[in-house]
Order: sequence, then C-alpha cells, then structure tokens
Amino acid sequence: MSAILAPSRRELVRTAARRSLRRRHVMGRVFQGLCVVAMVAAVAPLVALVYYTVTRGVSTLSWAFLTHAPTPPFIPGGGISTAITGTAEIVGLAIVLAIPTSLLAALFLFERSGKLAAALRFSADVLTGVPSIIIGIFAYAVLVLPLHQFSTLAAAFALAVLMLPIMIRADEEAMRTIALDLWEAGIALGARRGRVARSVVLRGALPDLVTGNLLAIARAAGETAPLLFTLATPLAAMTLLIYTDGTQAFPSAQRTAWATALVLLSFVLLLSVAARLVAWRISRRAH
Amino acid sequence: MIWETTPMSPDAVSGLAGAWPAGRVRRALLRKRSRFGDGAYSALRWAGAGLFGAVVLGLLVGIGSDSSAAFAHSGVGFIWSGTWNPAAGQYGAGILVLDTLLTTAVAMVLMVPIGLGTAVFLSELAPRWLAGPLSTLIGLLAAIPSIVVGLWGLLVLTPIFANQVEPFLASVPALGWLFRGEAYGPSILLASVVLAVMTLPTMVSLSRSAFGGVPLADREAALALGATRWQVVRRAVFPAARAGVSAAVTLAVGRALGESIAVAMVIGNRPAIPESLTTPGATLGSAIVNQFAEASPGIGTSSVIALGAVLLILTVLVNAGGQALLRSGSGSQAHTAGALR
Repeated sequence: MSAILAPSRRELVRTAARRSLRRRHVMGRVFQGLCVVAMVAAVAPLVALVYYTVTRGVSTLSWAFLTHAPTPPFIPGGGISTAITGTAEIVGLAIVLAIPTSLLAALFLFERSGKLAAALRFSADVLTGVPSIIIGIFAYAVLVLPLHQFSTLAAAFALAVLMLPIMIRADEEAMRTIALDLWEAGIALGARRGRVARSVVLRGALPDLVTGNLLAIARAAGETAPLLFTLATPLAAMTLLIYTDGTQAFPSAQRTAWATALVLLSFVLLLSVAARLVAWRISRRAH
Repeated sequence: MIWETTPMSPDAVSGLAGAWPAGRVRRALLRKRSRFGDGAYSALRWAGAGLFGAVVLGLLVGIGSDSSAAFAHSGVGFIWSGTWNPAAGQYGAGILVLDTLLTTAVAMVLMVPIGLGTAVFLSELAPRWLAGPLSTLIGLLAAIPSIVVGLWGLLVLTPIFANQVEPFLASVPALGWLFRGEAYGPSILLASVVLAVMTLPTMVSLSRSAFGGVPLADREAALALGATRWQVVRRAVFPAARAGVSAAVTLAVGRALGESIAVAMVIGNRPAIPESLTTPGATLGSAIVNQFAEASPGIGTSSVIALGAVLLILTVLVNAGGQALLRSGSGSQAHTAGALR
C-alpha cells in the first residue's frame, strides 16, 4: 500500500510547495508594487505644491513687488516690502531671544543627569508638539492683553517660544556627539567648566548646532498661527499676508498671495537646504 | 591617604574606568570641580534652564487663568457640550472636538498606509542612491510652511474636490453615504487630505528610523530561511519596530490635532454635527483662528482661549504618549523626534 501511495503523496507535497512558493513570490511582488505606489503618492503632493506655487507666483514676482510697500485694494503697483521686512524683524528678534536661552539650557541638560534635567527634557519634547496656535494664545495672554497692544515684540516672543524646545533638543543632541573623553580631558586639565563648554563642547558641536538651529528657524519663519494673535496688521508678516490675501475672492489678491508664498517658500527651503548641506559636509568629513 | 601609599598602576586606573559607568565618572569629576565655583557659568546655565522652565509653567498658567472665566461661565461641560453660538451666549467645544477627532482619524486612514509604504520602500527596498535623495525630498516637504499647504488646498484642491472628487465619491456604490450631500469643496474630507499631506513627513522619518533600528542580522536570518522581501518586512522588521511605528503614528496624530491655519482655510468653518465627510465642519484649531478676531471681549475671548486649553490638553496627552512610546522603542530613536521638528 505504502509503496503505491508514496509517490503520489510526494507529488502532492511538491505541488503544494510549488504553489506556496509561487504565492509567496506573487505576494512579494504585490507588496513591492504597493510600496512604490506609496512612494509616488508621498512625493506627488510635494511636486504639485511646488509646481503650483512657482507657476502661479512667478508672473507677479518682480523687483518692484519685493521692494514696494503694499497699496490699498484695487490700486495696482503694490508690493510686499513691509511683509518681508516685518518677517525679517520678527524672526531676527526671535532668534536673539531663543538662541542664547536654548544654548544655555542645552548645556544644563548636557552636564546634568537627574530628575530636574529629565523633567526639562521631557517638557521640551512635549512642548515641541504643542500646536503653534496655542503658543500664539500664550503670547497674546502674557504680552498683548496686559499691554493693550499688538506688537512685533509679542510676535517675536511667540516664535521664540516655538523655537526654544526644538533648539534645546537639537543643541543637546549636537553636544552629545562630542566624545565624553574630550569633555573629561578638559576638566582633567583643570579648566573651568565654562571654559570647557566654550572651547570643547560648543566648538566641537558647532556644525551640528548650526544645522539644528537653522532648521528651527526655518520652521518658525513659516508659522502663521502665532502671528494671528500678536500682530495688528497682516501687512506686517509674509505668512499673515498670504492668509488674508489668499482667502479673498479677488484674483489680484490671490496673485499677491501666490507670489508671497513663492518668496516665503524659497526662503524656507533655502534655509532647510543650507542646514542639510552643513550636516552633509560634516558627515562627509567624518568618514 | 590610601592613594599615596598604594599608587595605582595604569592598569588599575583603566580597570576602574571600565568598572565605573561613564556617567558616574563624570558626576564624580563634577562634584570635585563644583566646589571651586565657576560661578558665572553655572549661574548662566541655571538661568537658561530656569527661563525655559518658566516659559513652560507660564504657558500652562497663562492659558489656564485666561480660560478660567469661560469654564466658570459654561462649567466643565464646555468640553463636551455641543453648542457654539456666541450670539446667544452659548459656548461649547463638543462639536469642535468631534470634528477635530474626525478630521484627524480620516487623515490617518489616508496617510498611515502611504507613510508606512514609503518608509518601507526607503529603508528596505530602494537602492541607496535612490533612497538618499527621496528622503531629502520628504524632509523638504516637512519644511514647507503650513500656510502654503493651506493656500494650495484652498485655491487648487477646492475646485477639484467640488467638481470632480466629491461627486465621484458620492457615486461609489457601497461608500456613497459617507460622501452624500452637496459638494461644496471645503469639507472635512478636504481638511483631512491637507492634514495627511502635512503629517506624512513625520510618519516617514520616524518609521524609517524605527526600521533602521532593527538589526541587519534579523533580516539576514529571515532571508536565509527563504523568506521573500515581504515576509522579511512582515515577520522580522515590523514586529521589532512596532513601538517606533506606534510612536510615529501617535506623534503624527498630535500634529494633525493641532494644525489650525491650513485647516481653517479648507474646512468651511461651520460648527455643526457633520452629516457626511463632504460637509463643512470646524475643528478646535480652525474655530480659534476664525472666532478670535470677532470674539466679544471678556467671556467671548476667554471661551476662545478655553478652546485652546482643550486643544492643549488633547495634544499634550497625545504627545506625552508618543514620547513614551518613542523611548520604549529605543534609546536612540528618542532623539530623532527632536531633530525632526
């Protein structure tokens, strides 16, 4: 009996194995295809976004557009100079507020390990995820309401609060790339800790610090929600101008919004690319 | 004076360094140094950390105290009560919370498969020369300001949705009821699509770093057993990266919940119980954007700030969960979150 059954049984197993192998290969193919589709779907919006911003914005863009002050609605010849300088002022002031604070706080986290440091680190991580609109409300509550006026300072404060946790964590990460031995060697040489921080930690981590801070600045420069609560006029920042002009039904206002979006996008992407170039140069030098 | 009578050989010193964890050596050194002061530097460091701590506390206290009038007026029911009718003096966040959760959920349904597939493609399938530039592209998508995404959604996607996408979806046999009603364009669905675009980079980079943390040996072992690429991903990579991927989804959810300006531009801003996904809605964030300017001083403004308080609680809970997941996933991944934003 078994002598008769054995070959057919072996045949059965063989076909089953072959079928399973084929099925596995088909599944594998399907899966790879789906991943490629997902990749295309992920990149498509990026391409579409940039394409529309460039094609709809570039025709309005001119030297006069960048350097002339805005005109009242329906009067041609206006530009966005106040928005560009406004954004520059706000972001510049925010940088002045945020970079020293974040560097010192990061040094604190770098040199200390304990409950307090852990709590601060966790707050920074959670604050990074707090919506920017809430930070705008915060700035409104502490600077606009008590002083009874909207101001560049309040806007800069909001952006600084927004950047602070991102910068702190990026700075600390950058400092952690410095070998501990170097820090210990500095201390062992008898240098004061401030001296070691300056000559070893900050100097060694400088390129990474630059990358992290540039990315944080790029993010803050593109924020709209915090400015909504802190600036009196939409003409005082590019992002607000895009919001108010873009939500109007007039084609001329929409054209201004697209062109401003193009300027903002170029600026932010430039910062972001610069940050990546710095990071890339470091990683190439390290190898 | 033990160290004078028994001088340590170099071997003993390095043995000591090996036995002591680096952190302990550092702390011992620190204790020694700090006795000599170094006052100004120490004070500065404390000032930096203190300032940051003050900002965090100030944020909580500021939002809390300015929204207290609203909670006193409407009670705790503010959070779930459905009516938002400032003209009648009725303030409630219920519908806004509902729409916030709904847009986020739909955005995740759209985004997570695409994000996961992209991350798998970049980390498991693509050759290195392709994976590098593509991840840079995805990273640049993260850098695009939300206002630009909102403008694109409003001026480019809205007409397409009103004329093509929404009528088409309403005509799909089994799913049509999800999309019934007038096709306006601005809708919960459109807001979800915009949110999906905006949260995709978070998902891709975090999942990718989670996949990167899976040891190569695990993949090789699976391959040696005859697994196909799909089986390697499913049986070896996914289980090991589960915490990291969950963290990625959670942090993306946190981002979607809080996005306000882009959503305000495409959702139509109508605080009513949604009949379908193609009807306009209003989220917490979009309501703050739209109601803030016209809120009456006093209780009106306080109620808008209270919306912010509700949103703050929601996002802090979600983000704290995401951070905890990230830490449980792997020590090194905790850092990527900071670098990402």
